[in-house]
Amino acid sequence: MSKIEVRDLTVEYGEKQERTLALSQVSFDVASGEFVTIIGSSGCGKSTLLSVLEGLHEPSSGEVLIDGVPITGPGPERAVVFQQYSLFPWQTALENVAFGIKQYHRELSKKECRTQAKAILSKVGLSGFENKYPSQLSGGMQQRVAIARALAADSEILLMDEPFGAIDAKNRTLLQEFLLDIWEGEPADEKKTVVFVTHDIDEAIYLADRVILMSSHPGQIYEEYKVPFARPRNRRELNSDPEYVKFRANLYDALYNKAIDAQDLTKAAL
Amino acid sequence: MSLKQRFLTSANLLFLVVLAINLILPDTIEDDACPLFLTGFLVIVELLVLVGCGLAKTPKTLHVFNDVGSFVYAICGAWTLCTAKFALMNQSLFPAPGTVFAQLVADWDKVLVNIGSSSGIIVEGFLLGAVIAIPLGLLLGWNLRVGYAASRVSSFFAAIPPIVYIPYAIALLPTFRSASVFVIFMASFWPILVNVMSGVLNVDKGIIDSAKSMNVSTPTMLAKVIFPATLPQLFIGCNLALCFSFILLTSAEMIGANAGMGYYVKNYSDLGDYTRTVGGILVIGVVISIVTYAFNRLEAYCLRWRKR
Repeated sequence: MSKIEVRDLTVEYGEKQERTLALSQVSFDVASGEFVTIIGSSGCGKSTLLSVLEGLHEPSSGEVLIDGVPITGPGPERAVVFQQYSLFPWQTALENVAFGIKQYHRELSKKECRTQAKAILSKVGLSGFENKYPSQLSGGMQQRVAIARALAADSEILLMDEPFGAIDAKNRTLLQEFLLDIWEGEPADEKKTVVFVTHDIDEAIYLADRVILMSSHPGQIYEEYKVPFARPRNRRELNSDPEYVKFRANLYDALYNKAIDAQDLTKAAL
Repeated sequence: MSLKQRFLTSANLLFLVVLAINLILPDTIEDDACPLFLTGFLVIVELLVLVGCGLAKTPKTLHVFNDVGSFVYAICGAWTLCTAKFALMNQSLFPAPGTVFAQLVADWDKVLVNIGSSSGIIVEGFLLGAVIAIPLGLLLGWNLRVGYAASRVSSFFAAIPPIVYIPYAIALLPTFRSASVFVIFMASFWPILVNVMSGVLNVDKGIIDSAKSMNVSTPTMLAKVIFPATLPQLFIGCNLALCFSFILLTSAEMIGANAGMGYYVKNYSDLGDYTRTVGGILVIGVVISIVTYAFNRLEAYCLRWRKR
């Protein structure tokens, strides 16, 4: 059985004439321990799709099943990393992570939460920054804290909504490697199921077992691509691998053509 | 910072100049206490300035102590020159600084009682308003539909200048004190409520989604997420409330009280004792400055996480 099953998901926004179809009949499965990236141009509904998976947005029709059970809202088996503003600015890095742990593990005492939070922060390389507020951390460090908080939840599913979208190119590369290190480092039977939304082709391929390409207006699944490259992946070797170049070009064409279509549609609408 | 930077400052030079004016120039008015009490006041201020400058950690703090000290000395200098030294102004309407300070010292027990009476009312009314308005604002703001209606209603009430409640409250309630507490309550409650509600409505959706994705319970959401997220706006409301409270209470005390700093000022100005009137005004200024300063420190501490 698949970990996540998405069945005929349709999401509509707005009322009557103003109504827009954000997602139309989206169906796909994610296996347990699989790393799936969802890629598409902006406005293709990929973030809407993820917020349905998070349980923050109710679909107009269709459903999401986790371990065969339909979801009704957010749940402890899922942890989320957003693009930004996900940390509480009034809590220090340590307090943010400890707060997250407390929400997923109510039985733990405040002290135990803090001890665990400290351990996880050092795992993500933020020892010494425990008592800094988010405003005192760089964007990349903030996202590390957010990832630490999501990891600390110890849930089976990790949902990531363009988590590195607002980070500069160099730090984005580092964060991708950092995320893979952690994900690949887990034993096979405890490996997290990850759904990762992005608009960056290289990121999508580098991270994923499978790339789901979405087309826009309305948001639909255009194609799925199994990523054939062995892990652990070396970005430099990958870049010069003719297979990778071909794979990327293929994906790029599909994304680019769809993007053009979307633009034509917007023009027609104007 | 070197000793020279710390202590060779305009404030300290001005202190010496004003002290010299006070002690060397002869007084034209007959009041032996006058130069003595001005000297006392100047020395106290100078001690504060010296301690402040000695302990200041940054040049910015040093400048604040220095500049404030300079202003105080300049004002005292001009004041004593115009009054005690050259008697340029009407002596009864414009008492000399030393006379005012001497009077305050002589009246200190009366002044303290009046400060206590005023502060008691403010603290009671303001705390009552804050304690009710903050949770209510959180709940109303969080329940969007009710919140929308409530924000209209409370905008209406917040728009009424609380000063208009004074005569009615005095007629309605048995004692002046209870009437004052009620008016301060009204003056604090609405601005805090309005600001907390709009604060809740303006909490970043990302923060709320982030909390929701962690499955937080409603009490946790309100206490640990919405409340701290609303703090910046809550403090805007509280500052406003505090400011209203001072204006209102002193006004109310001028209308119908027999205690309080507003009463002290009004009473002695009615009696033509302008020395005490000026003294009372100065004391009110000092007390409100201290309260405001303390409140700003509290705000800075509670909002230390904000980007500066």
